[in-house]
Amino acid sequence: MTFSLDGVRRRFLGRTGPVAALDGVSLEVAPGERVVVLGPSGAGKTTLFGILNTTVRPSEGQVRFEGEAVEALSRRSLRAVRRRIGTVFQQPRLVPSLTVLQNALLGRSGHWSTARALGAWIRPAREDRERVEAALESVGLLHRLGARADELSGGEQQRVAIARVLVQEPSAVLADEPFSSLDPALRDGMAELLLGVAARGRTLVAVMHDVGFALRHFPRVVGLRAGRIAFDLPSAQVTPESLERLYPRAAPGTPARKGGDAADVLACAR
Amino acid sequence: MSSPALADRPPARRPSAAWLAVGAFLVWSVEEAGVSPGALFSAESARGLSRLLRGLLPLDLSPDFLAVVGGAVLRTVCIGLAGTALAVVLAVPLGLLATPTLFRPGTMAAGDGPLAWLLLGAHLVARALLRIFRAVPELLWALLFVVAVGLGPRAGALALAVSYAGVLGRVYADLLEDVDPGPAEMLAASGARRAPVVLFALVPQALPGLLGYTVYSLECAIRSAAVLGFVGAGGIGQELQLSMRLFEYGQVSTLLLALLGVMLAGEAVSGLMRRATRSARAGGLPSAPRWLRLLAPAAVLGSLWGSDLLGRADVGLLRRMGRFAAQLLPPDLSPAFLRSLPVPLLQTLAVAGAGTLLGVLVGAALAPLASRGLMLRPRGAPGRADLGGVLAAAVHLGTRATLAVLRGIPEMLWVLVCIVAVGFGPFAGVLALGLHTGGVLGKLWAEALDEVGPGPLEVLDAAGASAAVRSLWGAWPQARPLVASYGLLRWEFNLRVSALVGFVGGGGLGLRLYNAVQLGFHQQVCTMVLLILGLVTLSDGLSSALRRSWLTSPGVRPEPGPGPIASRLSIAARGLSS
Repeated sequence: MTFSLDGVRRRFLGRTGPVAALDGVSLEVAPGERVVVLGPSGAGKTTLFGILNTTVRPSEGQVRFEGEAVEALSRRSLRAVRRRIGTVFQQPRLVPSLTVLQNALLGRSGHWSTARALGAWIRPAREDRERVEAALESVGLLHRLGARADELSGGEQQRVAIARVLVQEPSAVLADEPFSSLDPALRDGMAELLLGVAARGRTLVAVMHDVGFALRHFPRVVGLRAGRIAFDLPSAQVTPESLERLYPRAAPGTPARKGGDAADVLACAR
Repeated sequence: MSSPALADRPPARRPSAAWLAVGAFLVWSVEEAGVSPGALFSAESARGLSRLLRGLLPLDLSPDFLAVVGGAVLRTVCIGLAGTALAVVLAVPLGLLATPTLFRPGTMAAGDGPLAWLLLGAHLVARALLRIFRAVPELLWALLFVVAVGLGPRAGALALAVSYAGVLGRVYADLLEDVDPGPAEMLAASGARRAPVVLFALVPQALPGLLGYTVYSLECAIRSAAVLGFVGAGGIGQELQLSMRLFEYGQVSTLLLALLGVMLAGEAVSGLMRRATRSARAGGLPSAPRWLRLLAPAAVLGSLWGSDLLGRADVGLLRRMGRFAAQLLPPDLSPAFLRSLPVPLLQTLAVAGAGTLLGVLVGAALAPLASRGLMLRPRGAPGRADLGGVLAAAVHLGTRATLAVLRGIPEMLWVLVCIVAVGFGPFAGVLALGLHTGGVLGKLWAEALDEVGPGPLEVLDAAGASAAVRSLWGAWPQARPLVASYGLLRWEFNLRVSALVGFVGGGGLGLRLYNAVQLGFHQQVCTMVLLILGLVTLSDGLSSALRRSWLTSPGVRPEPGPGPIASRLSIAARGLSS
């Protein structure tokens, strides 16, 4: 199993006492699988994401990545695990004053010793540079290699972030609402890129808001609600009822919620 | 290899002429200031330092000496408080006069006719006066006042009053200038004169800033007061200087502890005042709680009395100051004297340059270790605690403590310590400036590294990058402008100090100045003060031009309004140069 979560809980200290962001989540993701996590705001999607990319420690329960129990790892081995997990964040999170090339190069940063990192300032190693050029080519940004990251448009920045993950060559890719900062016209092209990253047998777990898009592109759908798994189904078996458990139908007379009318969304997606 | 990418590579960054000039200047500084690491690591230096270190313990806690320390602490606080109070009295009218929106032609409140021109003249004079108050270092003001009014806390309080008035007046004018012009324009449009515009449109908007900065400068003034004693202006500094010269190192460590206590108490009191004035009415104008309103005037009166400015207010005081001022003029411009100036002047520049360089090196080495984000593992991350993590935390805490000591000891005291190691001369000045600057820069830079946008650091962390790689590739590129600017600000500050380290034996212009003061060559003093004034003004102008060119380098998107960096800097600039 790439990821295996067993009874994971995560509590945060809220204003009125501890709040459970995740409340007993068990989940297994097999190598090469493509899974999307859906859920309304506050369902615990981002916390789940942090648990998966090993930056958030569960309050209870066990997390394994490719069979290794994350909790028991030393710092060094934890870094080795993180090298194998590529992450596309909601925002591109580029270093604004560095170039496109340098930002993409940071996909390799997990492999660098301090000396190598210093060397990369002056001149990146040949193989690193070749990887970067290949990755930038596949996201169509090779011609912007020397541009500063803060000169790029939002869509271009997110493409650099995807190139960074390509350079990293991870065995699993996590994506947290990767398109929410983009306008709809850009989303489809970007989706293709993201799914392309997950080709070559890589596992892909995406956290998403856009139900229609999720159902179109991901064979397995996990519904998260109030920190618990509401359903875990192949996308063909997702019904309006199961979606309604995530996004309850708006009460009559109130404007529709962001999730829209579940049946309509489902109809659109098919 | 001709991949299409190569053609589009960024142009290789060539060192610009400015950088080459800076580099050449630094190399020259190191040479000119007689930096000789050999002297530092000689047997003689080791003997001196080990005697110093062994002498620091045990503390001298004899009742007689404790009484002396208590008196010195009290006088230091009095000097700081009285100096700030007098500075505010000076700064309010000067700051108002220096506010451009009120007096420049074409602004809303400016009328026309001869009176308007007269006021414009007064406005320009006020700005020039504030500039002079600021540009002459406070220690130099103290030296001048010691001559004018005699040894003791009186000279210290007056020196602080003048030099803090320069800073406060400028800040007041800036704050009044920066408010939303809407209300003022409305009042002016309805025919209001200056006074109502100031009272009802400008001051209410600027009040939180005005009060906040005044309280902050009280804290700085108390810290300064502890140092002024090095030229005989009373307080802890005077006792420190004395004990150091008498080789009574046990007394030195007692005094240092007292100094630390005074500084911490100053910070605590000003924090308390800030909270008290801020929280009184949320959202509304800050107002002081009753205890502060009762206590403040009493404290000010007490401090004025404690710095010998009340009890025997004699007319003779003013007459003596006037006589001294008259003796300063005209400045001595005889060729023989002028010819003797370039050597110490260049030495002063070199001490500032080499000292800043050393400070930058020390700060750069320690800042990453003092950064919380890079040394401490983020809370809530998985993985087990290991020896490496514990070790990193220990190094982090140790570095922060070291930096606190480096910057807690004033430059003038560092000079005395370094003289023990390497003897009199510019090298001692370089070491002193470098150690103190390293402590300041290490802290400021660590904060700059910790306050960068967290996004890229999280990305690097998630990709498994080590702490060193995170700091190098994630934090440093973002912190660079702020880091460079802090470095420049410190250079400006160090130039002021390097002109004075000679007072206690650190080389440069200071020694000449001190001797001229002691021997009563007041016209020579005047020439050298003007020289320092010119030097400081020139270097401030140069470095603010450099800073502007960095902050608006191509590719940096202009941020709406004063960006966080720009506003942080203007605050830091005021803080550092005061």
